[in-house]
Amino acid sequence: MIAPVGLVATLTDEQEMLVDASVRFMDTELPVAAIRAVVDGGPRDDIAYRAAAGELGWFGFLGDEASGGGSVSGNGVVDAAVIAAELGARLQPGPYAGHSVVVDTLTRVGGPAHAAVLADLVSGAAWATWAFGDDTACVLGVSRDGVRLDGHVTLVAEVGSCSHLLLGASGPDGFTQVLVPLDATGVTVRPLESFDVSRRWGAVDLTGVTLPLDAVLGAPGAATAAQLLRQVHLAAVLTAADAVGAMHADFEIALQYAKDRIAFGRPIGSFQALKHVIADVSLSVEMAKGIVAEAARALGDEAPDAPELVHAAKSFVGEHSVEVMHQCFQVFGGIGFTWEHDQHLYLRRMSADAAMFGAPGWHREQLVATVEVAR
Amino acid sequence: MSPMTPTSPTSPTTGMSVDEFRAAARTWMEANLPRRAEGDTEVRKPWDIKDVPAAEFAAQRALQKRMYEAGLVGITWPVEYGGQGLSAEHQRAFDEVAIEFRQPDLGTLGGTTFHVCAPTMLAHGSPEFLAVHVPRILAGDELIAQFFSDPDAGSDLAGVRTQAVRDGDRWILNGSKIWSSGAYNADVGMCLARTNWDVPKHRGLTWFAVPVRSRGVTMERIRQINGNEEFCQEFFDDVELTDADVIGTVHDGWTVTQTMLLFERGGGGMRSAAPTVGMKADVVALMDEVGGWEFAATRDAAARVHVDDLVRAALGTRILAAMRTDPMRAASYASYGKLASGVFDPLRANHMMRIAGTAAIAWGAPDTAGSDASGPDSAGAAASLALLNSRFMAIAGGTVQMQRNTIGEKVLGLPREPSFDSGKPFRDVVRDAANWSGKVS
Repeated sequence: MIAPVGLVATLTDEQEMLVDASVRFMDTELPVAAIRAVVDGGPRDDIAYRAAAGELGWFGFLGDEASGGGSVSGNGVVDAAVIAAELGARLQPGPYAGHSVVVDTLTRVGGPAHAAVLADLVSGAAWATWAFGDDTACVLGVSRDGVRLDGHVTLVAEVGSCSHLLLGASGPDGFTQVLVPLDATGVTVRPLESFDVSRRWGAVDLTGVTLPLDAVLGAPGAATAAQLLRQVHLAAVLTAADAVGAMHADFEIALQYAKDRIAFGRPIGSFQALKHVIADVSLSVEMAKGIVAEAARALGDEAPDAPELVHAAKSFVGEHSVEVMHQCFQVFGGIGFTWEHDQHLYLRRMSADAAMFGAPGWHREQLVATVEVAR
Repeated sequence: MSPMTPTSPTSPTTGMSVDEFRAAARTWMEANLPRRAEGDTEVRKPWDIKDVPAAEFAAQRALQKRMYEAGLVGITWPVEYGGQGLSAEHQRAFDEVAIEFRQPDLGTLGGTTFHVCAPTMLAHGSPEFLAVHVPRILAGDELIAQFFSDPDAGSDLAGVRTQAVRDGDRWILNGSKIWSSGAYNADVGMCLARTNWDVPKHRGLTWFAVPVRSRGVTMERIRQINGNEEFCQEFFDDVELTDADVIGTVHDGWTVTQTMLLFERGGGGMRSAAPTVGMKADVVALMDEVGGWEFAATRDAAARVHVDDLVRAALGTRILAAMRTDPMRAASYASYGKLASGVFDPLRANHMMRIAGTAAIAWGAPDTAGSDASGPDSAGAAASLALLNSRFMAIAGGTVQMQRNTIGEKVLGLPREPSFDSGKPFRDVVRDAANWSGKVS
């Protein structure tokens, strides 16, 4: 069993109860052993899992009371990041970052037409996810009668288990967001083979998809583009939190192995050659937790330094998670090459997290651009 | 020796509420201290401190004394030793006001005296010792240098060979100390000496307060690679000390050392990170100077510096919170901050050198700058200087390797390496090391 991640150094009492209950739920209902069975082709019961997770409150931190949601600490982004980290540490399935973006967006700019979908997403009756810009190659046609979509979305986590896809793309009136029901005529979800085996990945083809006008969220153009920034930040910080959870777990397993494995007559962790590597890894893990917690706090508070902290968090975690993985792999030695050892599952998870919603280099460029604008 | 400053059982701030104290601090600072410029929140690094002219240093000491007389120093320290005996709340109120003003600047010694040596003395010194020294310290009359490392023992601090031998009711000190920053301005050195060679190394050590102008103390300044002469070396030739100069218990100096290391790693006074928004001024200046905003490679290097700066500030916040929740392991957690500096300062310097390119290799001399765009004050020159200073935190106060051992063993619970020196009399350790065979005995 992996100890709780401790993403935030001091939790509120309510957050502590949330983490306790959530960790117990994951370790009971979907422990890593069960995830391995799914990876090997076994069935996955999303419906029961999702509903129980919804009961725990996972999907409502960024929603409001009207939709059945609400934050437990007053900062919904911190709540979501705390859960995202525990999900990553336990290799849980689901489109948590994308789903949270959709809940956040519908709560902020959704209308009465979206209330039922939002309530389903908050309760866990359904999952939704989000794709934008570079990940999509879509042509949007918006007319008085409705909106028409053609194109494809190249890569989305868990899209095959979702009821809706929130899609951002260029349209005739500027940047436009459309909530696409994945069962609409003309929508095809293609499963992909993926490096990360703990989640299912897919592509979406849209051919002559026609939706009513109320599928468009908010006013196309500047307002939607501004909304996009918040979506990017939110997806980035929650994905970084997921990776921090995976770093934490990989490190915990490596640390225990260094204490248990005997070579040359003593535990290998007593050798400074490994002890120093492990100390450096733990520093990376502490720094990663620190910056993701700060970024989540700032984003939830809508603080002026939130964009900088989010870009820093996603780029730092993206690079250091992979480095941590390498160092842990070295501690494991030969056993790390075996399929039944868990570390490769974390390696795969961290690598996907590093690439999704902005790779480290992309976030560094955004960071410099943010600083330049502020000057 | 300066005359002892009388303790004032009722200072001007005695019994003040937090709000009254905050107001008093503000009134005094507005009348006596220059205001900080906007954005001037950087604390000077130890390696940035250069020779301060004697007259200026004396003026800063006088300022410290006036602040003491106003009841604004030693806020949480005991009244009987000249402190104000006020709460942590009062200290926070003071800090909030103090950030707006340039505080008395006693160079390296200000930090070592008020944040490392005096807090350690307060934890371990006898009432008689504290009654003599602490009021003088608070008044700026007694500044303390760290006489910690021997030329032969740095990270292995318990391996010092500077020794004090009992002679009747005196102690006779012989040996040498080194890396004592700013000691040329100090009044007293807090000195670790071996007082028993016939027990294991951690059990035969004692701390002394050595007046630097005692007979038998010789001090030399060391010329450093950055051109400064802040580091000093002291030589002790039969320096006479008394029991009144002992800090803590004789032979139990290692207990005192543990406390001292906690304060030195910032555990005692680590503050929350300042607001982080915006790239640090040195990076912006360098990017401007070399036109770095135009090129992807330099933009990326600047971003890496900024990312690491932000992450290190966040780490500071996290360490502080962890230390509050788990005070028992505070000293070990503090090692993360020290390790982060030791690892990331050199990386930062490397990134800055990559941005600077040739701007960090040569610049116009002050008197012949002529058409050269940049001089010794240029951002490129600063990058080169930062490289020279970058391994300071990786080495000073215990190398990064020491921090990794502390984290590995004290925080993460990894077993120790076998030790060849901790179980036998130090005298034998020294002898056996000279005949080192590589065999475990």
